[in-house]
Amino acid sequence: MKTPAFEVHMPKTLDHALEIAKDLHEGGHDFDWISGGTDLIPNYKWGINPKSHVISMSGVSELEGISTTRIGAMVRLQDIVESSVAHPLIVEAAGTIASVMIRRSGTLGGNLCLDTRCFWLNQSETWRKSIDYCHKCDEGTGADCRVIPNQNELCVATYQGDLAPALMCLDAQIHLASHRGTRSMPLEDFFQEDGITRNVLETGEIVTHIQLPENSADFIGSYQKLRLREAWDFPEGGVAFSVGVSADGSVSTINMASTGFESIPRKHKELIESLDKGPNWALEAERLGAELKRAVRPVLNTWFPPAYRKKMASVLARRAMEETSKRVTSG
Amino acid sequence: MPEDKKEIVGYRQQPGKLDFTRPGSGGSSPKSEKRDLEMIPQSQGGKMGQPWGPHRHDNLVTGRIIGKRTPLIDSRWKVTGQAVYGDDVRLPGEIIGRLVRSDRHYAKVLSIDMTDVESIPGVLATATGIDAPSAFGVLPVTKDEHAMALEKVRHIGDIVACVAAEDEETARLAAAAVRIEYQDLEPIFDMRDGLKDSPDPIHDRGRYHIGESNVQKRVFQRFGRISDIKNSIASYDNEWTFKGVNHGFTEPHAVVAHWDPRGRLTLYTPQQVPHYVHRALADVLDIPMHQINVHRTYVGGGFGGKSDPFPHEMCAAILARKSGRPVRITFDREEVFWTNRGRHPSRISMAIHADKEGRFSGIQTDALIDGGGFASFGHVTTYYNGVLHTAPYEIGAFHYTGARVWTNKPASGAMRGHGAVNSRCAVEVGIDHISEELGVDPIDLRLANLLPPHSATITGFRVTSIGMRECLERVRKESGWDKKFRRMPLGKGIGVGCGFFISGSGLPIHWDPNKFPHATVHLKIDMDGGVTIHTGAADIGQGSDTVVGQAVAEVLGLPMDMIRIRSKESDTSPVDLGSYSSRVTFMNANAAVSAAMEIRSELIEAASLITGVETSGLVLGDRRIFNKKDPAVGVSYLQALHKAQEDKGALVASGSYRTPPMGKMHKGAAAGLAPAYSFSAYVAEVDVDIETGRIKVEKVWAAHDCGKALNPLSVEGQIIGSCHMGLGQVISEEMQYGRTGNLLNPDLLGYKIPTVHEMPEVVPIIVESNDPEGPFGAKEAGEGPLLPILPAVCNAVYDAIGVRNNELPLTPDRLYRSIEKACRQRGIKDPRDLPNPSLELTSLSDKLIRRAKDHAKRDRERRLDPNPDAYYNGQLFNRHATGPPEENDPNWTVQVLPDQEYLENPKLAGSAWLHKERRHMEGAE
Amino acid sequence: MASHPLPLAGSPPVEVWTASVNGKQVQTIIKSHDILLDVLRDGIGSLGTKRGCDMGTCGCCTVLIDGEPRLSCMTLALEAKDRQVTTVEGLSDGHHLHPIQEMFAECGGSQCGFCTPGFLVTSAALLEANPTPTRQEAMDAIEGNLCRCTGYQQIVDSIMSASKILSEGIQNKPITGPASDPDPGFGG
Repeated sequence: MKTPAFEVHMPKTLDHALEIAKDLHEGGHDFDWISGGTDLIPNYKWGINPKSHVISMSGVSELEGISTTRIGAMVRLQDIVESSVAHPLIVEAAGTIASVMIRRSGTLGGNLCLDTRCFWLNQSETWRKSIDYCHKCDEGTGADCRVIPNQNELCVATYQGDLAPALMCLDAQIHLASHRGTRSMPLEDFFQEDGITRNVLETGEIVTHIQLPENSADFIGSYQKLRLREAWDFPEGGVAFSVGVSADGSVSTINMASTGFESIPRKHKELIESLDKGPNWALEAERLGAELKRAVRPVLNTWFPPAYRKKMASVLARRAMEETSKRVTSG
Repeated sequence: MPEDKKEIVGYRQQPGKLDFTRPGSGGSSPKSEKRDLEMIPQSQGGKMGQPWGPHRHDNLVTGRIIGKRTPLIDSRWKVTGQAVYGDDVRLPGEIIGRLVRSDRHYAKVLSIDMTDVESIPGVLATATGIDAPSAFGVLPVTKDEHAMALEKVRHIGDIVACVAAEDEETARLAAAAVRIEYQDLEPIFDMRDGLKDSPDPIHDRGRYHIGESNVQKRVFQRFGRISDIKNSIASYDNEWTFKGVNHGFTEPHAVVAHWDPRGRLTLYTPQQVPHYVHRALADVLDIPMHQINVHRTYVGGGFGGKSDPFPHEMCAAILARKSGRPVRITFDREEVFWTNRGRHPSRISMAIHADKEGRFSGIQTDALIDGGGFASFGHVTTYYNGVLHTAPYEIGAFHYTGARVWTNKPASGAMRGHGAVNSRCAVEVGIDHISEELGVDPIDLRLANLLPPHSATITGFRVTSIGMRECLERVRKESGWDKKFRRMPLGKGIGVGCGFFISGSGLPIHWDPNKFPHATVHLKIDMDGGVTIHTGAADIGQGSDTVVGQAVAEVLGLPMDMIRIRSKESDTSPVDLGSYSSRVTFMNANAAVSAAMEIRSELIEAASLITGVETSGLVLGDRRIFNKKDPAVGVSYLQALHKAQEDKGALVASGSYRTPPMGKMHKGAAAGLAPAYSFSAYVAEVDVDIETGRIKVEKVWAAHDCGKALNPLSVEGQIIGSCHMGLGQVISEEMQYGRTGNLLNPDLLGYKIPTVHEMPEVVPIIVESNDPEGPFGAKEAGEGPLLPILPAVCNAVYDAIGVRNNELPLTPDRLYRSIEKACRQRGIKDPRDLPNPSLELTSLSDKLIRRAKDHAKRDRERRLDPNPDAYYNGQLFNRHATGPPEENDPNWTVQVLPDQEYLENPKLAGSAWLHKERRHMEGAE
Repeated sequence: MASHPLPLAGSPPVEVWTASVNGKQVQTIIKSHDILLDVLRDGIGSLGTKRGCDMGTCGCCTVLIDGEPRLSCMTLALEAKDRQVTTVEGLSDGHHLHPIQEMFAECGGSQCGFCTPGFLVTSAALLEANPTPTRQEAMDAIEGNLCRCTGYQQIVDSIMSASKILSEGIQNKPITGPASDPDPGFGG
């Protein structure tokens, strides 16, 4: 297969990359960032929203580097899996992503910025033409959403990144940069409901790294993923859960986040608030699972039917809590 | 110089010129190896045990290669990256072809406008349906395909036009620039709708069209004592749904067409059946067959999916003819799914009955299969869904109704285990259910109902060797079945399933077997001593080149490195029917053996002339022919060869194989008829996550009766590979069609082939039942081993959680749904509280065990008896019967057309018989 | 969103692409957006590297980039510029097969052979990094490669056998050496 033609830019520094982005933008050129390419290149081969310029970040070494509290956007997923310093929860989630082969190309930044997916979208040009395209890639036709017809407001394509919920459970801050400067925010604020825009990134802006709180080592957690096969498959649902354990053994923080159910990953603060942080928090796993099941709103655009994914949300949440509890006990 | 050779006048003989002492007799070992008596059958004085008796090929065994783990003869090419597959054929001046495919489900093609295409620089040729209007198809009775759409497109992805250009980008650009005007027709996607009359049937069969429906083929078969079914004490009756599955070979279709300067066409294509393409090309291009050379490249997996002649092959030839340049077309993965020919989506109603003696008093099957847009092999598939479950069990009655319909989806066709897989799964799950109702162990029930060796099935198939009993006994023992079955904790389970498959198809599709043989093999040996084998059998990775080479090497006592295979080009290969219906080992190795026997006797005669030992006293060893009584007296293979060559130069021989006359006369009697059948039994152990419905198959004990493992390495590879493919169909693989009729997952991310992590540990168990007609006793091993894995897993899931299913694949969401249902029915809230199924044996159990024991003795006697009495299915029910039951049992039905009574209340597929063929309608001529 | 049959914009810029492919310095002209797999197959002529799905889900196109298995169908050629690329053709020295090649042939690791190049380079990289993997480690290493013929079991067998050969330091027999080929006398 061939991608549509585009020009590749290969900056060596972040500043240069942002400069190129600025110039392209001001020159009226569309462009995409490419890090590992495992998301972008298949979509380009299918002709899904390709741009005429692509800025490759593979040569920008300042976005690499991994420590207990900081992971650069260009750190490859397999390097996280093999890392001895990354938080175990991140390692666990990263280890479930696609296949070892994809993980050697895919990056942290790419996984966080993963394009949303939908079986009406991730198809060839001829295929999409046969359904008169869809809202997310309408080829100028103004096409409606094929998942929930008669509304062309919102794209409901599903976000299927594995790292986001794990990082949210560690209270990660995401750092962005553009030629206008840098900014950062809690990871949950980075995502923005809509399958097309997905996140708050502005044109020319890029993720530089993830920062974890200094006490992130005190967090113990688990990531549970629903998928058909143990390699390749995107999460049909994923739930991360963590507790911050203080030196005296008491629980200070509890987090839960999910992915694969909606257009964005979510941190479920409102569900956690109802949870008693006392020593018996794990006994409420069943209840919390049931509540997560009620909270998520999957649609029919991935492999498993939404009713099943919704039901599994409760199993995943309960198992994530039980596993976390087990890990807390075993130290 | 022998004295009888007179010096030829006029030539100066060269004194001192040496005979061929160098290069010797070939092979990389400097010494002739001693005969390995462990590899020589007892009947020939060796030490190889023959518990199944002697074989007609015993005297040909040199102990060299048959039965030894032999690496594939072409594996060095593959591991060095030098094997040339379809897309690897790069010819000077080669250009790229691209197919223009329909984006409509079903539509009339009103116009095709190439104006924009022709203005694109680099475009060298375009073509549309009118360039090649002749129809073709893999079966002569159902030619319904064209190179490109003539008037209608029948599914999304159907080919409408094609273009060729200097490079891939231009070709893609050009294909996108073709403007096609369609008029949409009402598509059908649900196979049940195909049974109804339609304003626009997807094909028109003229006088033979069945009503105005989309029924392409229908079958009705009723045999045996149907009236006895009502005396059953246990029954299984269930409606199954099977999703369509795709072969999923890793190599997408690719083809290169080249018209040489003499005006001959060479088509390079990864084909399982080069000969059918050869015929179809001649029809479509309107040129004689001898003007075409079909060059089979290496085939990156076939499994049935590369055995039809394909439109894209025609398109490449047409574009190459128009452009005067070699044209290469390679598919995107999506196009592979659009071409499909995978296993039919099916709705199968399966009823099995057992009487108070624990005998299967009847099987009633109704199978509606979804053919998609074209006929392909579907005519045969329609029969196979029924007739291939008439064994290995003796049955009192068999009633099958089948129908195949056209729908506006990619065409279904032949896939590994062709037509047998789905209904077999239903049968074996049914038997599991019945054994529970009867209160017996399902393995005991099976063992007490097996057909004996040398018997005839209910529809008249001739079963020769049968190792079913040994397969069952081996898996029972090795899996520790008796300690595990119904005794494992909730979520853990074990299950058994069996299989039965043809080893070659009795009837060649294109000719009367009395006129032409099924397979022909040519041998040529010249002074160098190496053996060139010419065969048309298509090696698609299963190792057919290797097995044919092994057969020749064995008979001639040569190492494999002296064998070379030329099997790729129709110019040099004898016609062969190709690699389908598991025919190659049986038919081609048999043909190779008979060709090698000819050479062998020439060598022995020559050796006899040199040594003075009578031919009967000579034996072949490793590159050496010697006196049986005094092994020191002998000649090297090369000496014997050169002696034999004296008068005629190179030795050549041709061997062929044809099936013996067999089968019955009723309509459809030839479908499923084979010179031998393979049998298999698997036990699978599973772990079911009862809260998510996820199945993990932990371990599989896989016993397969392949007659004789000519190459155990390959047989094991086929068994394990079959497990993998069958596992996909049972746990994850399906072609998913959405509410719009679109195929939602035409890619390898969405089409869920099991990864290495899903694969259980497989313990391959080879059972060798020594088929009397197979080469050295061999039968097939490529397809049969796929069948049992599906029911074994289904039955193991039942053992694990006590929930029966009737829909495949058993994906977590489906299994979870049936778990929920079971919970609701039992008023249970948490699935973890579901009851674990248990087994309570009844008195019938002992009776069956005794009968199985008697039958085991009967079978041992029959298999060693050179002239066993005829045994006809039905004798289990009437032990004094002799002769075919239809001749002496007044209650025995043989019926291949439905009667009025049936038509008043037909089953789903059976309702296809409510239509009249147009020629039988009022007013028809 | 844009409407664009392929290709998107006029002529993309071309570049000189250099790399070390199987130890040999190569140079070819590529388009800026070319994918490594296309450059290897169509530009360099490394036809041993196969195109199976073109979407990262089969692993047939795996090559080693600086010794690490990567999917060439998902790699921009420019990102592999001036790096060491090893394809299946580079595993053997021309005279001796790499033990992993030998064992794939011996143990049934290759049936139709189409996925074999990808498995071979993946396995070779595994054995380079970990000469004595467990069966589980071998399975984890090949999880990104799809095989439809073997059911993976004989592939893992092949890897384990090659590991044994490598760790015991056994040299394969040369494939190009003259085979001993005299008249085989009696006995042996």
